[in-house]
This record gives sequence, C-alpha cells and structure tokens, in this order.
Amino acid sequence: MSGQPIKPDKILKELGELWTNMGKEEVAGGDDQSHGGGLLRACAMTLISFVDDEEDPVSLGETLASLMKEHPSRAVVVRVREGEDFLSARVFAQCWMPFGQRRQICCEQVEITATVDCLADVAAIVSPLAVPDLPRVILLRSARVVRSGGIRKILPLGDKIIVDSSRTGAPGFGELGGLLDAGHIAGDLAWTRITEIRSLLAQLLESRKIGTVTVEYDGKEAGPEARYLEAWLETSLPDARVGLKGSGSAGSGKPLMIRVDGDLTVQLMSGCAEVRIGELKQRASLPLGADEELLNAELSIVVHDRVFERVLNQITA
Amino acid sequence: MQDPLRFHRKAPPCAVVIYGANGDLTKRKLMPALYRLAYEGRLAPGFAVIGVSRTAMTDDEFRDRMHDSVRKFLEDSPFDEELWQSFAQGLSYIAGDVGDPASYAELGKHLAGISEARKTEDNVLFYLSTQPSQYAEIAEGLAASGLNKGQGWRRIVIEKPFGHDLDSARVLQGRLQKCFNESEIYRIDHYLGKETVQNIMAFRFGNGIFEPLWNRTYIDHVQITAAESIGVEGRGAYYQEAGALRDMIQNHLLQVMATVAMEPASSFTSDAVRDERAKLLRAIRIMRPDQVADNAVAGQYGPGRSGSERVGGFLGEKGVSPDSQTNTYAAVTFLVDNWRWAGVPFYIRTGKALPKRVSEIAIQFRTAPLAMFRKATAGAETVPNMLILRIQPEEGISLKFVSKRPGSGMQLRPVSMDFNYGSSFGERSPSAYETLLLDAISGDATLYTRQDMVEASWTAVQPIMDYWATQKFNFPNYAAGTWGPEAADEMLARWGHTWRKP
Repeated sequence: MSGQPIKPDKILKELGELWTNMGKEEVAGGDDQSHGGGLLRACAMTLISFVDDEEDPVSLGETLASLMKEHPSRAVVVRVREGEDFLSARVFAQCWMPFGQRRQICCEQVEITATVDCLADVAAIVSPLAVPDLPRVILLRSARVVRSGGIRKILPLGDKIIVDSSRTGAPGFGELGGLLDAGHIAGDLAWTRITEIRSLLAQLLESRKIGTVTVEYDGKEAGPEARYLEAWLETSLPDARVGLKGSGSAGSGKPLMIRVDGDLTVQLMSGCAEVRIGELKQRASLPLGADEELLNAELSIVVHDRVFERVLNQITA
Repeated sequence: MQDPLRFHRKAPPCAVVIYGANGDLTKRKLMPALYRLAYEGRLAPGFAVIGVSRTAMTDDEFRDRMHDSVRKFLEDSPFDEELWQSFAQGLSYIAGDVGDPASYAELGKHLAGISEARKTEDNVLFYLSTQPSQYAEIAEGLAASGLNKGQGWRRIVIEKPFGHDLDSARVLQGRLQKCFNESEIYRIDHYLGKETVQNIMAFRFGNGIFEPLWNRTYIDHVQITAAESIGVEGRGAYYQEAGALRDMIQNHLLQVMATVAMEPASSFTSDAVRDERAKLLRAIRIMRPDQVADNAVAGQYGPGRSGSERVGGFLGEKGVSPDSQTNTYAAVTFLVDNWRWAGVPFYIRTGKALPKRVSEIAIQFRTAPLAMFRKATAGAETVPNMLILRIQPEEGISLKFVSKRPGSGMQLRPVSMDFNYGSSFGERSPSAYETLLLDAISGDATLYTRQDMVEASWTAVQPIMDYWATQKFNFPNYAAGTWGPEAADEMLARWGHTWRKP
C-alpha cells in the first residue's frame, strides 16, 4: 500500500477475506489434527498499540498473542518511524489452539507503519477500524509519539490510554495528570507493577495503628513505582508519617523494603516478599509482573480507576 | 486501603484445625487448596494449620506427608519449594481420639500458643474431614472444652452427607446447634464452589436478556446430568451405603437445580441468596408413594465396556454384597410448584459407569409457535433452542439455534454459539475447595448450604428412598458404558421428551 492512499474500507474488506480464506483452509484441512474443529473468531476490544519502529516485532507479537487469550481483540499496531512521509498497512490473523481442544481461536491484527508526520492520517485510518460497541484501548509505547506531541492527535481514538512511566521516553506524571484532567481513563504499568505489594500491605496494615512508614528504594532517585507506593500510603494512611529513603548508591529507583514502625518489615525480592512481624517471619509470593501480565490486568479495567487517580493527583498536586 | 478493582480477596489471620488430617480429602483437596491460597498470597502471614487424627505423628512427619501430598495433587500450579518451607512453618499436628476429652484440652493449649506466636487473633476454623458419624461428637467435644468460643471468631465446616435421611439430618442439626450458632456452621457442598455453578448466577442475573425467558412460558424442560465414566473404583463398601440418589442428587444436583431455578435475590449477600435457594427447594413437589415409580428410576451397572476396555459390574466390586440393591444410577423428574415453573419438568440424572464424564445443565426452550419453514425442511419439526451450561469437563455455555444454510432455498441447520471458560479467560480458575475455604475463612457463607436447605432437599428425596426401600430391583439393569436403564428413557418418553446425549 506504500505510496497509495490507505482506505479503512479496504482494510476491513481484507480482514473479511482473511476470515473467509481461513475458514476455507480449515474445512479443507480435513482430519489433520490441527484442522477440522472450526475457527472461533473472538473479539472483546480494539487494542491500538503505538510502538517505535525499532521495537522488536517478534517480542511485541508474542506479547500481543499472549494478551489475546484473556483479551481477544482486534489489534492495530502502529509502528512509528523517522523519515519522510510514509504510510503502509497489512492485515493478518493470530490463532492458537487451546490445550486439549480441536477448535482454533483467532484474532485479527492490522499493522500500520507510519512516520510521525503522518499521525493525523493514522488517526483517520484507525478510527473506522475500531470494533463498534467494544472498548478501545491505546497502548502507548512510542517515545517518538510522546516527543512529537502526537499524543494529542491519537487521544480521541481510545477510551483508555495505557503507558509505562518507568520506560525511557514514556510520558511522566505531568502528562498522565493532563490525561486525567482532560477526562481520559489512564493506566500506568508502573502502578500495576505494585498492585501485589499494595495488596499485601493492605492485609498487613489495615487493622493496625500506624505511626511511621518508610519506603526504601534502590538508588539516589525514586522511580515511579516507589513514588506511587509512597503516595498511595499517604492517601490510605492519613494519620501516619510516610517517607521515601534511597539506598544512596546508583540504582534502579525501585522499592526494596517497606518499614512500618519498629516491628514490621516487608522486604521485596525477586518473585516474593519476606514479611517480618516481630519474631514471625513469613514468605509471600509476589509475581514478577511480566509485561503481558501487567497489560492483562490493565485491559481488565476500562473504567475510571479512582484509587489510581487519587494517588496520581497526590503526586502531581 | 482496599482497592476492589485490583486486589484479590485476602483472608484474615486465622488457624485452621483439620480433623481427619491423615485422610484422603486432606491430602488430595484441602492441603493443596490451602497451599495454593498461600502461593497466591491470599492467606495472612501467620496463617496456621493444625492437623488432628488418631495416627501418631510428629509435626515434622505431618509436614513431610503434606509436602508429598501437595506436590502430588496440586493442579495447574507450580510447586515452589521455598514458599512451601515458609507455609510449612505454620503446620503442626496433634494425635488424638475424638472421643477423648484430653485431646481437646491439648488442642486448646496448642491453639493459645499459636494465637500468640503466629498472630492469628484467636480466629479458628474447625474443618471436619472425618467420618460423618463423628461430626456431632467432635462438635460436642469442642464445646465441652470451651473451644467453640474465644476472643476471635469460631467456625465449623462439615462435609456432606448431612445425615443419611431427613430424620438423621435433624438429629445431627440438633446436636450441632447446641455447640455452634447456625451462622458458625458451614456445610460444604463443593459443587457450589465450582466456577460454572457460580457463573449460573452471573449468567442469569448479570444479563438482562435471559431472565425474561427463564420461565414456564419459554422453557419446555430442564435436564441436569452428572455422569461418571468410572465405576466405584474400590469404594464399593462406602458406596453401598450411599447410592447415587443420596450421594449426588440429594445434595449436589438439587443445589444446582436450585441455582438454575431460584428467584433473583434482592442482593448478592449470603442470606439473601440462600433464602431464594431454600425457597426453591421447598417448592419442589413431594411425590406420593404411588407417583415414585413413574418419576424416579434406580439403576445399577452390570459388566460392559468403557471405551475398548471391558469392565466388571458393581456386584463384582470389592466390599459389595452379591445381592446389593444399591443404586449406582438415579434419574428423577422433579416438578416445582411455583408460578415461574409450574408444569416444567426438571429431569435430574446421575450415574457411575456411563459413557463419559460430563456434568451439564441443558435448558430446552419451547419451539417457535409457527413452523413457517416446514415446507423447506420437508415437514421436519422445528428444532428447539437449547442452552447448555457445561460444568465439567470443558466449562462453558453453548446456545443452539437454527440458521439458514448458504445458497438458494431456505434450508435450515442447527448451529452452536459457544463460550468456553478456558479459552475466553486465560487465567486459571480456582478449585472449588480454594473458593470455599477462602469463603469460610472470610465469613462468607453464600456458597454453603443452610440447615433449611438440607432439610428441604432431604424432604424432596425421602419419598423416593422410602419407596425404593420396599422394592426388590432386578439389578443390574444397565451395562457399564451405556447411558443408564431403559426405564429412564421411558420416564422422559411419558412427557414426550428424550435425554440429551451430552
């Protein structure tokens, strides 16, 4: 399609043909183990991902494929690159065979490659591709889009915008606050990453009278996760003194330990947390939070998340 | 501090005392479920389990046995050795006889120590995984030593059967309620903990489009099937005392029927939901003795085939009397006397050694009032719509309807619209015991049965049991690997219906 105008109708027609052809192949497959059980076309949302062209397509494809199992969607991937005006599009399907079953489940995918200058055109193409009556979620991983201010052009495409503020070049708290002010639903994977820690802390602290809580982090400057944790504790425990403390040496800025008064500590380790209450020591599992797990959690929430919004407001106030 | 959009439910601090800690249920279900809850971080850090049984064992020996059991019976989950070590610190064991008052005194001392050391806030859940004949004795032993009360909450979980008939269920209740309040008694029916059974409520009451159709005007009949492909597998001696009607229909399947047919509750709270289930069970028409033969069929499997394998009959099972009159198959037509369901038969069947393992609810709707495509279908009757709620093995929902075949003319063909739990939600479903244990620890009795429900379901099956007790059956009356006795087909034929082949 490069060099020629791209029309949403044509992409939708190609998607229709794709399904027809896959259905024919399935029927022709006969007794072959991987064929003959039919295709199930599944769609629960439109997921529009903006990524920089350099991002590994295989890794991104794997992430999207793993999301499909829990959130089957029409996936539109917009690869953003530098250079002169350029726009192209292609369609294909992602299928998988659930374990022990004979029917493949397939989701459709549209890949658009565009330069930053073409983002306005991209919006005009993507908007009609969204599946009617289902949520539209934007996953913003392109630093180019953020840098260029193109975010404003693509915002109307989505009901929810998901970013990861811990990634280089990602929108910061200020931009996220701006999204909320404009009435958008926003999600930040840095916030999602601390869900299990927050849940554990809620279980431990809810019935206690708390004086002081300190979030210790790795490094000289607190990263988004540590700052979210501090702000959440401040809003949840208004009578407690909540503080941040860095390790002093160079580091990731991620939270390492939460100290509560003199007798309770939660040490965060890879995949687990060690809780000490006085003499009692207990280990709790904390999932590592791979990108697809975090995205799965965020895609499940397509309404305003009041707790997140309250915490973000606390940080940006 | 709660974040209901994101947090999973977590249990408050407590200790669980398991009576029958060396038994099969503890090894296969309870301990793997508790470990899995710990793995997911659902249990409080000081969570403790105290195993009680007659076998002499040290704490370490108990931990080792439970370690092996969890490794063996944990389903759909990785086993994390480090997490186990941490979880196992909370496990301890007391050897004792349930009839010996000293064992309760020892348990009391042990619980006091645990409450202090592990910060369990003196909350205790007693789980009776013993022979049913010991339930009342244990409850009385706990009460006599004051363990039924404490600084924190006390709850007692009992497994089915809750009595072996209506009278014994009432006697059991009379003894239990002298020791614990009704709100502290949790009668577990693991069928109610299954995701798909819970989803029946979500399906019915979370969607606006089905409930208007959910009545005698649109529904022709309902079939509830719980089929096992295996025989009694060495449990002949136990099964001989129970039988299919007692083992499955009186509890699990009548609870499923109540969930399918109950009125909407005013809220999703424990008592509101259980009130509606109880009301439905009380509305089941009680059969007169002369109605039983037409509305209930008993069966017992004889030798046959399971796939390509030859299998023996029930009478050849170890521990089974050669002239046993035990039903390994039961099918019953229940009618519900209320405005919603008057005249709609609910067919329930369950059996051992049937062709496949499947549990499902099939709701058959009435056919379209006018057969306008009769000419195109060469006079064939219109195919009725069916809604299938699959409980196991592939949990999901299917809707069968007819569609026009592509091409000229108006040829219709039945098609199926499927929703499959496993492929629609990638996440793992918790086991029924995980759900129910977490509920009991959290004080949520919604999925537990209440005494009035137990009595109502015994009342519904008691006339059948009484009538069958007077009969001499010509058993076996179906071959292993078939769909049950012919009499069950004839029972439906009298209503103009046929059993669905799942």
